[in-house]
Parts: sequence; C-alpha cells; structure tokens
Amino acid sequence: MKESNTILPQGKVTGTQEIVLEIKNLNKSFGDNHVLKNFNMKLYKGENLVIMGKSGSGKSVMIKCLVGLIQADSGIISVMHKDITTLNQTALDILRSDIGFLFQGSALYDSMTVRENLEFPLRRHSSRFEKNMDTNTLVMEALENVGLAHAIDLMPAELSGGMQRRVALARTLILQPKIILYDEPTSGLDPITAKEIIILMQDIQKKYNTSSLIITHDVDCARAISDRMVLLIDGTNYAEGTFDALSVSTDPKVKAFFKH
Amino acid sequence: MNTNSQKIRLGLFVIIGTLFFVLGIYLIGQKQNMFKKTFMISAEFQNVNGLQKGNNVRYSGINIGTVKAIEMLNDSIVKVEMNIEENIVKHIRKNAVATIGSDGLVGNMIINILPRDGIAGVIENGDMIKSFSKVEPDDLLSNLSVTIKNTEILTEDLLRITNSINNGKGSLATILNDTVMSSNLNQTIKNIKQVSENASNTLIELNGLVKSIKTDDASILGLLLNDTISGNKLKITLGNLESSSVKMENSVEKLNTIIENVNSSDGAFNYIIKDTSLVNSLKSTLRNVNEGSDKFNQNMEALKHNFLTRGYFRKLEKEERKAKDN
Amino acid sequence: MSGLSNIKSHIQTFLKEIGELSYFTARFFKESFRKPFEFKEFLRQCYSMGNRSLVLVGITGFIIGLVLTLQTRPTLMEFGAVSWMPSMVGISIIREIGPMITALVCAGRIGSGIGAELGSMRVTEQIDAMEVSGTNPFKYLVVTRVLATTFMIPLLVIIGDAIGLYGSYLVEHLKGDVSFQLYFNQVFESLEFGDIIPATIKSFFFGLAIGLVGCFKGYYCGKGTAGVGRAANSAVVFTSLLLFIIDFIAVFAADIFYDL
Repeated sequence: MKESNTILPQGKVTGTQEIVLEIKNLNKSFGDNHVLKNFNMKLYKGENLVIMGKSGSGKSVMIKCLVGLIQADSGIISVMHKDITTLNQTALDILRSDIGFLFQGSALYDSMTVRENLEFPLRRHSSRFEKNMDTNTLVMEALENVGLAHAIDLMPAELSGGMQRRVALARTLILQPKIILYDEPTSGLDPITAKEIIILMQDIQKKYNTSSLIITHDVDCARAISDRMVLLIDGTNYAEGTFDALSVSTDPKVKAFFKH
Repeated sequence: MNTNSQKIRLGLFVIIGTLFFVLGIYLIGQKQNMFKKTFMISAEFQNVNGLQKGNNVRYSGINIGTVKAIEMLNDSIVKVEMNIEENIVKHIRKNAVATIGSDGLVGNMIINILPRDGIAGVIENGDMIKSFSKVEPDDLLSNLSVTIKNTEILTEDLLRITNSINNGKGSLATILNDTVMSSNLNQTIKNIKQVSENASNTLIELNGLVKSIKTDDASILGLLLNDTISGNKLKITLGNLESSSVKMENSVEKLNTIIENVNSSDGAFNYIIKDTSLVNSLKSTLRNVNEGSDKFNQNMEALKHNFLTRGYFRKLEKEERKAKDN
Repeated sequence: MSGLSNIKSHIQTFLKEIGELSYFTARFFKESFRKPFEFKEFLRQCYSMGNRSLVLVGITGFIIGLVLTLQTRPTLMEFGAVSWMPSMVGISIIREIGPMITALVCAGRIGSGIGAELGSMRVTEQIDAMEVSGTNPFKYLVVTRVLATTFMIPLLVIIGDAIGLYGSYLVEHLKGDVSFQLYFNQVFESLEFGDIIPATIKSFFFGLAIGLVGCFKGYYCGKGTAGVGRAANSAVVFTSLLLFIIDFIAVFAADIFYDL
C-alpha cells in the first residue's frame, strides 16, 4: 500500500495564509469498514480547495465530520481555530452559522416554499443581522444572487434539478458564511447546468471572499474551480497539489482520476 | 397562503373536540348530581348489600340523587350519606324510609326512599331517615327459630306426661292428684299456647312482609324479589310455616280444653279415666302438636336454603360454633 | 445451529430497538421542556394530523357504531334487553372501541406518514441541512410531531366516539324508534367518570406512542427509498403492536384503580 506521505508537488496558495479549517489525523470507521485513516487537510482563507475521491472513499463522511453531523472516532477538527469535537451544542450551532453547507441532493425542505426554505436558517441566527433587517430583503438578495427571484413562492418539487441546486446555494449563502462546504455540487446535473452552478460558485467566491471546500468526483468541476486539490484515496490524503500538477502525475492511483 | 384558514379550521377542530369532551363530562356529572344544588340526608343500615358511592337514590321511582359516602360507624351499622336534589326535598317527609335494592335484574344497587303514611314534617338538610333493611325479615326468622325450639321442648314434655299416663306408670289419678304434676302439665300447655301464639304473630308479620313484597312494588324487597323464583319459593315456605303453625295452635287449643276439663271438674276423674276416647283424643292432639312442630322444622330448614336468608342462618351457625368453642 | 443463532440475533435486534426507542423517548421529554418551542410548526402538525384525519376517523367511528349496534341487536332482542343497547354501545365505544379504532386508524395514517416524511427527509439530507443551519431538527421535527399526535389523538378519539355513538343512535332510531334524547340519556346514564377519564388518559398515551414510533422509525431511517418504505411500514406495525400493549396496561391499571 502506498504511504500517505508520498511527496508530490504542492499547490499554490491564493489569498492570505490564514488557516480557517484544519483536520489532523481524522479516523472514522463504520463497523469493520475503516473509512478514514489519519486524514489530514488544511483550508486557507479565500481559497477553493477541491477534495477528489471515488464514490465511497469517505469524502462525504469527512465533510460531515467537519460540521459535527458525524462524530469522528479520533482526530482534531478545528474550524476557525475552534475544535468542534469539544464544543457544546450551543457553541456548535453558533460556529455552524459561519459554515455554509451545500448538500449533495440540494436537501431543500420539500414541505416548504422556496421563501420558507430560505427563511429557515434565519430563524436561529437572526442575531447576526441588525434587528431591523427585514428577512424579506435578505431572502430576495440571496435569490437574486442565484437568479431565481421569480421562484420565491414555488414549492421545491416544482423546480428543476438545477434550480433546486441554485435555491440550495442561496439558502447556504443567506447567513453569509465564511466557509462554504460543497458536497458534490454538480452531481445529478447535466453538464450545462453543472457549468452554470460552477460559475455561480465562482461569482459568490469573488463577491463574499469566502473559503470553499468542494467535494467532487467530477474532473471538469475540479478543473474549473480548484485553486488546490487533495486526493482522497484509501481513506487518507493521498496526494495534494494544483489541478495542473496532479493531472500530470505519474502515480497510477492519481492518474486513474484524470483518465477519460 | 392558506395558513390562516388552516389555523381557523384547526381552532374549530380543537374547540369541537374539547366541547364534546366537556359535554360528556358535564352529562355524566349531571347524572351524578355534581352541578346541581344538593341536599344531604343520611340513613343507617346494617347491611348495604354492595352499595357504592355514586349509586342512584330514588324516591317513588324517580332518580333524585346519588350516594355520596358510605361509612362504617361500628361493627354493625353502616351510615350512608346521600345527595338529594334540592327541588325534590319538599316532597320527602321525615318519616320516609330508605331501603336498599337493586336496579333491574343484575343492575346497580340503589337506595329507594319510600314515603310512609302518617303526618310528618318536611325533611331538612342533614336529617337522618329510618332505614328498612333485610335485617327485619332476619329478625323475624330468628324469633321463629326460638319459638320452634321452645315448642319442641314443650311438646316433648307433654309427650312424656301422656306417655306415662298411657303406660300407666302409677294411676292417672295419682298423676292428676299430684298437684305438682298437674300444675306442671297445666304450665306446659300454657307455655305451648304462648309459644304458639308467638310463632303465629311472627308468622303473621312475616306474611305481611311477603304480601307487601307481592303488592307493594315500591318496597325494596318487592323490587328484589318480584319475578324471581326465589321470591316465590320464600313465599311458599312462609305459607307452609303459617299453616303448620295454625295446626299447632289448634292442637294446643284442643289440649287446653282437655286439661281445663280435667282441672275444672273434680268429680270427673273416673269419667276421664274410663273415657278412652278422651285419652285417645289427648294422644292424637299431642301427636298433632308433634307433627306440627316437625313440619315447622322442615319449613325452617327450607327457609335456611333460601338464598335470601341463607346468610343469616350461616351467621347463626357460625355463632353457635363459636359459642361451642368458647 | 444456524436457526439458534438466528433467533439470538433477532432477539438482539429487538432489544436494541427497544433500547434505542427508550433513549429516543427520553430525549423527546428532555427536548420538549427546553426552549425554544417551535410553536408554529406544532400548530401546522396539529392541523395536518388533527383536521386531515377527521374525515377518516369520522367515517370509521360512524361505521363501527353502526355495525356494533346492528350486530348486537338480535342477541339483545333475544333476551328482551334492547333497552340496554345505548348503555352497552356507549360503554364499549367510550371505554375501548373508540380509542382503539381511532388510534389504529391514526397509526396507519399519521404514523406511517411521519415515518415516511422523516425517513425521506433523512435520506435526502434535509435533517442534516436543518442541523447544519443551527435548527435542532429533533426539536423542530420530532418534538412538534409527537406533541401534536399526543394532543390530537385524544381529540380525535372524542370526536370519533361522538360520531360512533351517533351512528349507533341512527340504527336504534330507525329500527327501534328511539328518540335522540332518550338514546343519549341512556348512554350517559350508564357512563361514569371511571369510564371516560381512563379512556382519555389512555388516548394521550396512544397519541404519544404513534408520534414517538413514527418519528423514531423515520428519524433513524435506513438508506435509500427502500429505507423510507421500511420506515413507514415498520412504524405502522410497531405502533399497532404498541397500541395493544398500552391498551392492555391501561385497562389493567384502570382496573386496579377502580378497585381502590
């Protein structure tokens, strides 16, 4: 088995060098299935980090550990210099409002309208905004960001997959998070819609200067958006670097990702 | 959106549901006189026959209240407090009588308040009214039992005397001359007569009770016994008892005249001795008395098996046994 | 040999389920006393459970009242005891049939609904999305639903009872020419608080069981659409079983209190 410390070219780092998110020696297993083995990762402020891995390689598990949806077996997860494994529920909720999470299947609340979906995160975190701030304005602004202001009173079931994804993105943005975690942002979408979403992600990144962690197995998406990449193979950070650097790697396991 | 109409409909639903619940509670409460102005009266019983709190109280067949509390005052008296509707109170007199009965064939126990003849004032809050419970027939039966025992003893006495006359142990003259013996005989017969009268009186009372059972529907025992086979059985038994008693009385009367004859006519000794028919008559009279007594016993035995009085006799037996043990 | 270990594993699964459900119940009670209370969602659930089940409960109750009377009538007539019909039907509907039938119907309608809804929310990561957005999904989804069933089932039971009695009255009215007032006078003549109070308390527990099991099955739903189906199905099966057990315990307890 290849060691995790395989030396590969390091990717360039954009923006400042401040670390907003760091994972050290993360382990997680489900029964006998050891999904994550000593996984390490750093996310710098303002960068777009893409984590690539095959299906079932533990990408989603890792990202859910980041926001405390899954309890890690061992390891340190620090978000904005706070170890989330030691936080109580209240502190965790406050911290979570700084993290946006775009779920794989959009995860819109299908019993609510688009407006209610967007208002939902505001229910608990309205203290982040000025008291007189109208939620309606916030909702409209978020929807305009994704170009769906007209769909405000529709139900999620009435939207197409791409629109759903965009509404989900708007919902993620409404709390103006400092870090956005994207779980397979382009999965289940046709290439054109996927491209639209990617462009939207880039726009948002520019507009709010967020740090993004993108999980994907879509090479096109990775190429378009990544500043830096981490390859998650066999439950560990197998290789790191820019897209260009990794795509010319000679390592067979790395090569397998970029082969069409 | 339709959230407003949803809220209205939910409100409607909740109100209707609560309304039904409150209505149900109210209707049940009303049946138990919870929300009416009530009046408290009480009565003391020796046996309440499984009466429970909340059972109905009836006056002339109308539900007028419920049993509020049942309290054991001492080892044999149970005080029953009743809530009575205020508007019915003016019809109840102080001499009314409370009885315990059952409602229908296997229904709940109820208290019947029965009006009585005679003049009495209107009942007042907290009054205690008389009760009429099954203890009364029990008392009658216990009297009867004593009477029968006495009759038995006396009849035996008589039999012994007549036997000695018959067997000619000493001459009849001696016997009759023997004033002690004579007065003995006299006394015995008098006793028999009295006992027989007692029995008769008791039976008349018992009979009256049975008649009231048959005729007076409002009577508690009437409610309890009407249409039941046991009631009829009891009636037949009592009738038998009565006829036996009458027979007994007749016999005793005959005996009495004989003895009176003997006593009054001093010169009649010879006549008496010679007149075998008289002796025979005396004998048969005594046999009758004896027979009457036997039948009486049989009837009493039958009474013992009647379900109504079974308990009483069992109690009697138990007490006897206890007495023996001590 | 394998049969034996099969039984053993079945027992283990069952015990594990009971344990988890107990933990879930404890958590429900803990969370329901903690602020903030999701009142709006509670009302929404009350509406969707209470009002939307009304027609179903009404029809079932009506038919049960009708059938019970029709079936019992010949037998009672044989004994010349038709006049006891209102008391008999009243007591059996209020004490047992009303609560049980309503609860079983609601277990089918509401229990499976909750199981499927929460199950699909779990599968499509909507529950995770709520958690990440700082709203406690247990409070928002579970507590509101369980409280809604707990309060709505007794109301439904009472309305079902009333409709059932009305159905019974209709039969008596048509066949025996009994007036409305006489019929209901007779019904309430035979009823006591000892009939209606335990039945109502029992209904609260029925509601609690329907809500808890439905939420439990949905909240810990397995993966995929199959998981959702299983959650809905097992919610109904398990709830129905639990209803009978609760009924048994309730009758048992009421009996003891009645003797005191």
